[in-house]
Amino acid sequence: MRNLLDISDLNVSFSAYGRRQHILKDVALSVPEGGRVALIGETGCGKSLTGRAILGTLPDTARIESGRISLRGESVLDMPPKRREALKGTAFSIIMQDPLSSFNPVLQIGRHLDDVMRFADRRLGICASCAERKARIFDVLRKVQLSDPEWIFAAYPAQLSGGMRQRALIALSLLHQPELLIADEPGTALDVTTQDEIMTLIDRRVSDNGLSLLMITHNLGLVRRMVDEIYVMRHGEIIEYGRTTGLFRRPQAAYTRQLVEAIPPLYGAAVVNRPASTAKPMIELTAVSKAFARRSAFAKSSRHVAVKEVSLSIREGEIFGLAGESGSGKTTLARMIMGLAHASSGAIMIAGKPVDAGSAAARRNRIQLVYQNPGTSLNPKRTVGQTLAVPLAFVGVRGAAAASRIETLLCDVDLPSHYASKFPHELSGGQKQRVAIARALAAEPRIIVLDEPTSALDVSVQRNVIRLLTRLGDTLGLTFLFISHDLSLMRNFCGRIAIMLKGRIVETGSPRIVFARPRHPYTRALIAAAPVMSEEEENLKPHIGPEERRRYLVGARARS
Amino acid sequence: MAFDAPAAPGPGLSPRAMAWYRFSRNRSARIGAFMVVSVVFIALFAPLIAPFPDHAGAVVDFSARHTPPNLTFPLGTDKVGRDILSRVVFGFRLSLLLVAGVLAIAVPLGAALGLVAAWCGGIIEKGMTGFTNVMLAIPPLVMALAIGNVLEPNLVNAMIAITLVWWTWHARLVYRVAKSVAAEDFIEAARLAGAGHLHILAREILPNCISVISVKTTLDAAFVILFGATLSFLGLGVKPPTPDLGSMVADARQFLPEQWWEVLGPGLAIFYATLGFNLLGDGLRDMFDVEV
Repeated sequence: MRNLLDISDLNVSFSAYGRRQHILKDVALSVPEGGRVALIGETGCGKSLTGRAILGTLPDTARIESGRISLRGESVLDMPPKRREALKGTAFSIIMQDPLSSFNPVLQIGRHLDDVMRFADRRLGICASCAERKARIFDVLRKVQLSDPEWIFAAYPAQLSGGMRQRALIALSLLHQPELLIADEPGTALDVTTQDEIMTLIDRRVSDNGLSLLMITHNLGLVRRMVDEIYVMRHGEIIEYGRTTGLFRRPQAAYTRQLVEAIPPLYGAAVVNRPASTAKPMIELTAVSKAFARRSAFAKSSRHVAVKEVSLSIREGEIFGLAGESGSGKTTLARMIMGLAHASSGAIMIAGKPVDAGSAAARRNRIQLVYQNPGTSLNPKRTVGQTLAVPLAFVGVRGAAAASRIETLLCDVDLPSHYASKFPHELSGGQKQRVAIARALAAEPRIIVLDEPTSALDVSVQRNVIRLLTRLGDTLGLTFLFISHDLSLMRNFCGRIAIMLKGRIVETGSPRIVFARPRHPYTRALIAAAPVMSEEEENLKPHIGPEERRRYLVGARARS
Repeated sequence: MAFDAPAAPGPGLSPRAMAWYRFSRNRSARIGAFMVVSVVFIALFAPLIAPFPDHAGAVVDFSARHTPPNLTFPLGTDKVGRDILSRVVFGFRLSLLLVAGVLAIAVPLGAALGLVAAWCGGIIEKGMTGFTNVMLAIPPLVMALAIGNVLEPNLVNAMIAITLVWWTWHARLVYRVAKSVAAEDFIEAARLAGAGHLHILAREILPNCISVISVKTTLDAAFVILFGATLSFLGLGVKPPTPDLGSMVADARQFLPEQWWEVLGPGLAIFYATLGFNLLGDGLRDMFDVEV
């Protein structure tokens, strides 16, 4: 088989603030014609940069020092600029990562698609009328399973759901039948179920049209489904290359092994079963509902019920997982338990007392929160020590006592004590999240709500943070409410889980039982969509029919 | 593995080093900084720099009146024979004093009001933004003229007049920035940690507004010099014989075009100081990467 794309000895450096940094080091990679290749690695390892080097959209500060990028044996870098331009969208096409920020919010989707098509036509010397282009665009929109192209064409980005926007982005990349499709973290910003749909779609488009695929991602579970060959990148270097199955089963490089091992298993012998707690209930919810008044520009004002008659009880010392897609009401429920929002009806009891009983101070002392994104939950202008001093001052620890307490807290979360004088920008994502956990611990709470605490982190970092949380929970006797949509993680971390669908809890139980015999079809659909690392696990997943799929997967639903 | 992935994303420089790099690479910012420093230097050491320090006062030498620029009087002399260069040098003093006075009151006042409005919300927010908007609707010169007419014309009253029209811009700017910072996760996190209102305003939100405030303040300095000059030109500034750039232009106007140097000297001085502050402000804006 001939190679469609060959990259050899690619060296790219960046000059920023007077310094030159070597980012890509001797990168060599090839995509066979009709082949599917993945480039995996952690944030900042240079994988997206490789994609941009292929497309020719490197930022001005980057410079290709040496190397060759060739398309069917012809060097892309030596082409005259005009020919290189013409390759964009026709030879190479990219599916961008963020479906929201990739569209200009004030322009209609049709306008975006038409602009891209018109300019690509012009470069290729095609002269098509407006109606002709529209017909071609409708054709592509139908191909990406957007059932109502007429409506999509006239819609503004904000009117589409995340899944639909991602589809529109895929349509954008397929307008001119590219030969190589570069997918840069597709679906990362979406729910598992929607992501699953998107992957199926890309999969079908690639095989139906005989495209080659270069997938850039950090999600190893997705990679297993989608590609045949994998390149592992670290610090700008390709450190391992292999066929997908072989590489996952017997990773050679220590780093790859670490990456593969960091993925929590969904089924099999390696799964950890957390014991269920038998202590007395710590959080009790009886028939809790929450309704928001929703103002809409299109229809008359309506009430949106975010949480419907939820009853559950969380025991002391338990790690309780709450799973569900975005918009299912899990964050609203957590905010009510935190006392940040009031329930419209029903009762919430914390340690036997109503949630709004006592002063705000006493409430804070009971429950703390760890946010999803440590980048935004730490004040960039305050040092770690200053951030940690706030909750300490509140419980009456000041001065020298506070300094020693900060040292203990940092030690608890495995950070050296001199980190107290660092600013958030000096820390990595995992370290920031550790500081956020330390801040939550400082108020000496009995309950900690974890709002997707690891979804912004790389897998290997995620494992460390989860390990830390497990240890803290055991040693300090904390009760955790863990909100997530990562089912594999919940399977291993939680003592009990609840699945939420449109404001209701549809299933509760110990993960062992829920995952072995999911009762509700939605639970089955969720588990089936979770990416896994091996064929054996894939076979253990519950099977769902297309009927259930349509019924429960938000992403698969057409516009109502 | 206790310490996760290596930190230091990006080019491995602290934001401060990056900001300094951006500033030092920006030629107009360097020139602006030099001009501002030179103005401050001249103002501080005016008695040593001015060739005729006593000409800043009520000196009359009719034999030398309306002398064109020559070696003794590089910028010529005015209608009573005083050296214009010496008066310009002392004029910088007054301009900078005005800038310092106005900004020292208007900036903290505006920032505090903006912060409080953004944080408190509700009726306080509505009231303050409404009042700010009303103040902004009054043409600043008309407002300053009205105040200047009520009070007697002197430096302090000019300062008061300018301050009263100036704080609104800072209030609006800080309000806007603080409003978006207040919606960040780390503010809610601080509240959950038990931080009080004062702590959140002064320690959490304000540090995130500092870069915007400092850029705006520098740019403002230029406008205050111009505004002060305008007021003295209209006769609401300091009283003669105190050298003031604006009133020097006003006095010399009647001798145009024959005695052109009498307008040119103070005019160039105003231009120089204003340009310096503007360039410096633009440089700071690039350096902090903020929009004002």
